This record gives sequence, C-alpha cells and structure tokens, in this order.
Amino acid sequence: MDKEKFEILAMDFMSGEMSHEAAEDFRQFLEKNPNYKEEYKQLESIWTKVDAMQTPDPSTEMDETFYGMLGQEIEKSKKKRGWNGIFSGFFTVLKPQLVYGVLLLGVGFLVGLYFNSQEAQPGEIMVSTDETADVRQKLVLTLLEQPSANQRLQGVSEANKIEDADNIVIQALLQTLNNDANVNVRLAAIESLTNYVDNPVVRQGLVQAIPHQESPIIQITLANLMVALQEKASIEPFKQLLKEKQVDTTVKKRIEKSIQSII
Amino acid sequence: MMKVKSGDLDKLGLLYERYKKRLFGFFYNLGNNPSVSEDLVQNVFLRILKYRNSYTGEGAFTAWMFRMARNVNHDHYKKISKESTYRKVLLEDTEVKSANDLDDALEQKGNEVLLRKALTRLPVEKREILLLSKYREMRFHEIAEVLGCSEGAAKVRVHRALKDLRTIFLQLEMT
Repeated sequence: MDKEKFEILAMDFMSGEMSHEAAEDFRQFLEKNPNYKEEYKQLESIWTKVDAMQTPDPSTEMDETFYGMLGQEIEKSKKKRGWNGIFSGFFTVLKPQLVYGVLLLGVGFLVGLYFNSQEAQPGEIMVSTDETADVRQKLVLTLLEQPSANQRLQGVSEANKIEDADNIVIQALLQTLNNDANVNVRLAAIESLTNYVDNPVVRQGLVQAIPHQESPIIQITLANLMVALQEKASIEPFKQLLKEKQVDTTVKKRIEKSIQSII
Repeated sequence: MMKVKSGDLDKLGLLYERYKKRLFGFFYNLGNNPSVSEDLVQNVFLRILKYRNSYTGEGAFTAWMFRMARNVNHDHYKKISKESTYRKVLLEDTEVKSANDLDDALEQKGNEVLLRKALTRLPVEKREILLLSKYREMRFHEIAEVLGCSEGAAKVRVHRALKDLRTIFLQLEMT
C-alpha cells in the first residue's frame, strides 16, 4: 500500500466513513504492518485531542448583535419590496390602460392633425358670416318695432354692429329717425346712419328728415352733420324748417350758420 | 437557506442558531480571541445575506457557509497583517496565557492548552483543514467542497495536517 492510499484509508477508518468490510480489511492490514499501526495510533491520538478540544460558548452579545442586524435587514428588505411592489403593482394593473391611453392620444393627435391641415373654405366662412348678418338684421328690425325705447335703442346699437347694412336696415333706421317718439332713439339712429354716409340713399334720407324734426337737439345734430358732409342738398330743407317750424333761437342761429358754411 | 434566498429573511435566524457555535469554534480555534471570533461570525452571516442569491442549492449548505467563513477569516488576517504588530501580539497573548494557565490546564484538561498553542503554530490553511474535520458533522466530501479539491485530496491534507500538528505538539511538550 502506498503512502497516499494509507493516508486516505486511515482518515476513512478514523472518521467512520468506511464500510464494515473495508474497516475489517484495514484493521487486518494494520495488524500485519506494525509501522503503519504505530503511525495510525499517533494519528488517532492527536485526532482525539483535537476532537476533545473545548471551545467556549459565544456570548449573548453576539446573539443581540446578530438579531439586531437581521431586524434591520428585514426592515430594509420590506421597504424595498414595498416600493417595488407598489411600482410593479401600479404598472401591472395599469399597463393595459396605459397602452390604450397612449394609443388613444396618438389617434386623437393624428385626427386633429388631419382636420387641422384641411383649411376652412372661404365660402364656408362667408356663409356663416351671412347667416350671422341675417340673424342680426332680423334682430334689428324686430327690436326697432318694440314699444320699449330701451329695446329700440338696443336695436339701433345692434344695427351699428352690421358691417354692410342693406337697404332694409337703412330704411328701418331712417324710419326710426323720422317717426320714433323718443329723442334718444332718433339721435342713436342718426349716429348709426353716419356709418353709411357714403351711401346716397342714407344722405338723401338724412336730408329729407330735416324738415320733420322738432327736437332742437336733433336739429342741431343734423345741422352739424350736414356741415361735416358739406351736403348742399340740405340747404333747402333747412330753410324750409326755419320757415315752417318754430325753431329755438339758438338752434335757428346755429342752422343759419350751418347754411352759410355749407354754401 | 433556499427560503432565505427567496426573501424569507426570518429563516436566517434558524441557520444562525444551528451553526453559530460551530462557526464561533472555527474562528476561535483558528487563533482569534472570543470577541474577534464573534465579530467574524457576524461577518459570515452578513455575507450570507449579501450573497444569498449566489446560493444555488447544489452541494451542502455547510460547505458553502464554511467557504465564506474561510474567506472572512482570510480577509481578517489580511487586514490585521497590515498592522505589523498583530501577529506578535497574538503570539505573545497566547504564550502569556499559556504560561499562566498551563498548570491548571494540564490538571484540568490535559494537554489542551498545549494543543491550542501547537495549532497556532500550524499554517492557517492546515489549521482550517483540521478545524473543518473536527466538526464531525462535516464529511470529507463537504470539506473537499470547501477547499475546492477532490475528496481523496481532502483526506490526505487532513491526515498530513494532523501529523504536522502532532510534531509541533511533541516539540512543545518536550520544551
């Protein structure tokens, strides 16, 4: 038996990691080989001593330190898992919703882009503007026929908002100027009509309205307006007014002055 | 250990209770004082926690644990070897302690103190091998796993370490 094999068998025999038969064989081998037997005995003696070596018990402080450390680690791990759980739970539960949400957003964006790229046709705008003007015209006409002066005033102010008033509105405003019982409404009508002084119908209407006016403030306002417009056709109506109506002295002077300045 | 690996850290307490004395004895008999031995036991369990995911379940847990224990001890020695005085102090401590306690120890426990002294004079690797085999719960194939060698080689190494220990022990006995 070589040395290494003896070393291995000796350890097997000593540690009890040997089958019954193998142990018996090794015992017989030792009996036949006193040198090996002596070596084995020495080995067994020191092995027994090492085995019998006493070790003190660790202190309770070691336990305390360990369990303190373990407690901290468990706490740390719970916190970590808690956050991870929340995030993973959040994403797991809301994952389909998130995907759908993003998808819908994308579709919405594309649809918006598509419609936005199609510029509105001018015709459409004009149609819609026409519709608004129509509605406003009807509103003006309706309001001017109302018994309440306030509503008629509102009607005149609505008329001011119409960019290009057609003849119907202009006629309605001239009619208001000639027939409305309220001075303020008539004044408002004049103001509104001044927006269309380029229109001969308006100028003519204003001139024709001069002889019918009885209110001094209206008379003066029209006089001022005619001076501003340098409307020569208004001289005769003013003269007619001075003849036929009892005009206030101040107004009379003012009209005469206006006639002079128009001439 | 698999439960610890899967996150059930409470179970580490069970492992600690089962192995704390063996680990403490391992470090203590390697020549560390009780306080240092306790610290090193803590370090082993900290490493078990830190590297629990590397435990595959293949092979014995004790082998995996003692491999860590050896590394912890090596790191400790590396650290203290930088402090040049350590070894000297360690030996002096042992000698003073041995001298003081020798008589009592001889009466009470035979040659244990002498044996411990002999152990400290063995190279660390051999000391480790002897201490691993001292704990009979560890079989040679597990020791081989710790050492990273074949089972036969582990037996040969334990055998030779024992012989070396005996030689030193006898020398000490004669002086």
